[in-house]
Amino acid sequence: MATLPIDNQIRRMRFEHGEMTQQQLAERIGVTRQTVNAIELCKYSPSLEVAFRIAAVFNAPLEQVFQYRQSG
Amino acid sequence: MSFREKSAWISFICLLLLTVAYFEVEGHDLIAPLHLTLAIFVAFALLQVVLHLIVVAQAPRDARTPKDERERLIELRAARVGFYALVVGEFAAMGLFHAHGRALTLMSTVLLAILIAWLIKLGTEVTLYRQGS
Repeated sequence: MATLPIDNQIRRMRFEHGEMTQQQLAERIGVTRQTVNAIELCKYSPSLEVAFRIAAVFNAPLEQVFQYRQSG
Repeated sequence: MSFREKSAWISFICLLLLTVAYFEVEGHDLIAPLHLTLAIFVAFALLQVVLHLIVVAQAPRDARTPKDERERLIELRAARVGFYALVVGEFAAMGLFHAHGRALTLMSTVLLAILIAWLIKLGTEVTLYRQGS
């Protein structure tokens, strides 16, 4: 399955925040662990609301967590 | 495997068994005896409940967690695929009715179309969960 054109730094940021697990992040943003995994692997683009919640957990601006990959 | 994925697998397998059992019992007469039909549907419901209870017992926290946005999206995408399958099935049923003119044929093909559309919906859910999308 093709990955989506939005990269993210969630995996790196989890480890920078006390090696936070996917389950811990999932509980803090109100989704399942499988959804966090799908977001990390760029298989699912979260809603704006969830994206902001993730950024808030890491206390970082949205564009530091998610980057749009321009084609061409 | 998440609770929702296991649940979709359980529903898919139970419905597949129900479909095969019903049409096996129905045979060529195009109408199954009422007591057998009831027995098949009750067995289907019981099997679903028991298997779901086992899965819930294994991961009660997952089962209590409400569906998140990705799981709702998967369900909606699967329902859309199932809907188109149902439309095709209903047109096929109408076509067969015009060709044969038997009410029992219509009833049987409509039921088959519903069951197949439901199977396609659940199969799509399982596929989307497997893909991790």
